[in-house]
Amino acid sequence: MTYSAQLSKPLVDYARTLREWSTSEARPYARAADTDHRPPANWADVLDTCPVPLGRVDLPEPQALPDFEEGYWVRALVFYESLNYGDIWVHPTLGGGIGHLVVESMGTPEQLEKWYEPVLERGFTTGFALTEPGFGSDTSQVSTTATRDGDNWVINGTKIYCSGGATAEYVVVFATVDKSLGAKGINAFVVPKDAPGFVVAKENEQKLGIRSWVTSELVFDHCVIPVENQLGWTPDGAATPRRSGQGGALGALAHNRPNMSAMCIGLGQASIDVTAGILAGQKAGFTPQRWQAVESELERMNAALERGRRMTFRAQYLVDQGKEDRAVSAAGKGYAPQTVERVIRRCMQLLGPEGTSQDLLLEKWYRDVKIMDIFEGSGQVQRIVVGRTLMGRLVG
Amino acid sequence: MNLSPDEEQEAVAELATSIATEIVSPAAREAEAAGAVPDKVWAQLVESGLTAPIPEELGGGGVPDAVTQLVAVERLAYGDPGITMAAVWSGAAGGLIARHGTPEQTERLRGLASSRDARAAVALFEGFGRGPAELATSVTVDGDSVRVQGRKVGVPFAAIADPLVVVGRDVRDGRLRAVVLASTDDGVGVDEMTRSIALDAAAMGSVTFDVTTTTHALLGGVDADGDALTSSVQHLRLLNAAAQIGLAQRAVEYAADYATTRIAFGTPIAGFQGVSFPLAEALMRLDAARLETKDVADRLDLGAGLGARDVDHAVSYASEVALEATRDSLQTLGGHGFITDHPVEIWYRSAAALAALDFDPTCSAFEPAL
Repeated sequence: MTYSAQLSKPLVDYARTLREWSTSEARPYARAADTDHRPPANWADVLDTCPVPLGRVDLPEPQALPDFEEGYWVRALVFYESLNYGDIWVHPTLGGGIGHLVVESMGTPEQLEKWYEPVLERGFTTGFALTEPGFGSDTSQVSTTATRDGDNWVINGTKIYCSGGATAEYVVVFATVDKSLGAKGINAFVVPKDAPGFVVAKENEQKLGIRSWVTSELVFDHCVIPVENQLGWTPDGAATPRRSGQGGALGALAHNRPNMSAMCIGLGQASIDVTAGILAGQKAGFTPQRWQAVESELERMNAALERGRRMTFRAQYLVDQGKEDRAVSAAGKGYAPQTVERVIRRCMQLLGPEGTSQDLLLEKWYRDVKIMDIFEGSGQVQRIVVGRTLMGRLVG
Repeated sequence: MNLSPDEEQEAVAELATSIATEIVSPAAREAEAAGAVPDKVWAQLVESGLTAPIPEELGGGGVPDAVTQLVAVERLAYGDPGITMAAVWSGAAGGLIARHGTPEQTERLRGLASSRDARAAVALFEGFGRGPAELATSVTVDGDSVRVQGRKVGVPFAAIADPLVVVGRDVRDGRLRAVVLASTDDGVGVDEMTRSIALDAAAMGSVTFDVTTTTHALLGGVDADGDALTSSVQHLRLLNAAAQIGLAQRAVEYAADYATTRIAFGTPIAGFQGVSFPLAEALMRLDAARLETKDVADRLDLGAGLGARDVDHAVSYASEVALEATRDSLQTLGGHGFITDHPVEIWYRSAAALAALDFDPTCSAFEPAL
């Protein structure tokens, strides 16, 4: 087949249906989700109205997403963009989280059976606890400790920005067993929510945006878990994990990264479309010269989003082909977010002060989208990863 | 050429900086939550005389030159843009009346200048990138009767302003006119008030006017000088640019401070050029914006040597710089920038609010980041 960046008709149709649904049914709850710092109480009823499968995990029978010829990860991009085109509040109600991705990446067969497969079967939220007050991008600085005590590990430390931390069945916690080993001493531990010493210090942090997404501050105060909760370990000692420690954490995130970019492209497209719709009715208020500038702005913003899409599609296409490339994933994640920030704020400017009022969602999306260039590897970290393909690893 | 601040500018900068850091900045969250400046803070700002250019003989603190006013607003916005602009925008109405009003109109300022409860406003912006010469709000003078028709956006204290000075154009000769009204006047329709991305302490809203009044309400009377009013209105626009510069300067300094203490990969992150260069660039651009606004304000004051669009470009550039500077500052803090434990997110939002207030799409262009 010759070169083509076209999506198949079934996937295009699925995207359109999902986008129309998220716009008409989910978006009306966006403002309240932001104000209340949680999804609407009737979120399950809202999801019920979706004419295509959402991959819900809250139903008695798990709901799979339809398959398309493009493959799993390319479909994920389309899914994330179309879903978040309505608003970002729906995403966490679909369960998931990313803790189990670490289990899948680093666990023994027994651990996968215990903590990964049930997520696929029953669906529940899994938490991820890596960042601490003292570090973010430099993950070698984990200061949460895991101390061996007979058949148990005792975990001590504070974690912040834990996605789903307060609502997850278990949280995958990164802790060091020996600080003198640096990054090599860092291991991942499955900590169930009922483990003694697991303290939710802040259920949902006060944030600029994505306020309806639970991110928690967790404190592990002499938190005791069995030795077999160390990923890659059995009660008899070390197993051979596919990945380990710090690398495991980041490896689990790599595939998810371009999806974050797709989310932000969804918000950018929604902003352009809302803005273009309002401006069309205001054309008479502009001078011909300014109206020409407005049209040109909208065109250039749409073109910029298309470039962002191509970068994410290329990254996930390679994953679907089994040719994953960390630098390509980094480019897929790093390319779009800063541009989308500019798109949304430009849209607000084009609309004037009413564009920044809470009567519209643009100001919310502008606040929401800022996290996309920070979490799951900041824009700076993506640049480091891409830069290493040119210049090798000189630091970090 | 004299780029050094004079004594008055130094004194104003010092006073404004101390008020900003000791009084304004600590009240920022409270003011935003309440959607109003705390009474005590408002009183201190009014007493400082920094926010309303009203002559001493009318009960004000005096009228500094144009550049000094920019310095005051920049330094106060360094403390908090929401509180600062609430006071500055309220004071601006008094300033316009003091400068252009008839004796009867300026007499009313005696109470206003020292009042702690009064909230005044200038209804200036209309969106659509319109500058003062293009305002669509019309002022029709017919004998003793004056009719004001139009729609204004981003009007501070939209629901309660008194006086509310509406700026429009005379339908007969196109000259700029201002009419002194109040938000509660018949024919003043205030949209339902909603919150905004920032600057809620100024309680901004959209207002539709169809008011019939008398020539007594015409600022400066029937024969008022439209060019002089244009100059004053252009100056008001530059005050917004000064606020952008002040809040962005604060953000950059805050981020730089964070970068010198935050350790990653074995060193303070300020040691990485990927971190330090964006902040250094922001600092340079802020310098350029500050020099531009001061220069334009000075020429405006002199009434000579100003190009037709110099103010438009100064305002536009200050906004672009502040948007990027606050963005890079927030990004420097990473996740810490995204939570409300740190104030950077306030400056990030405030820059966006100010940038949408006075925006002309022909002064700058959307550019993708990559």
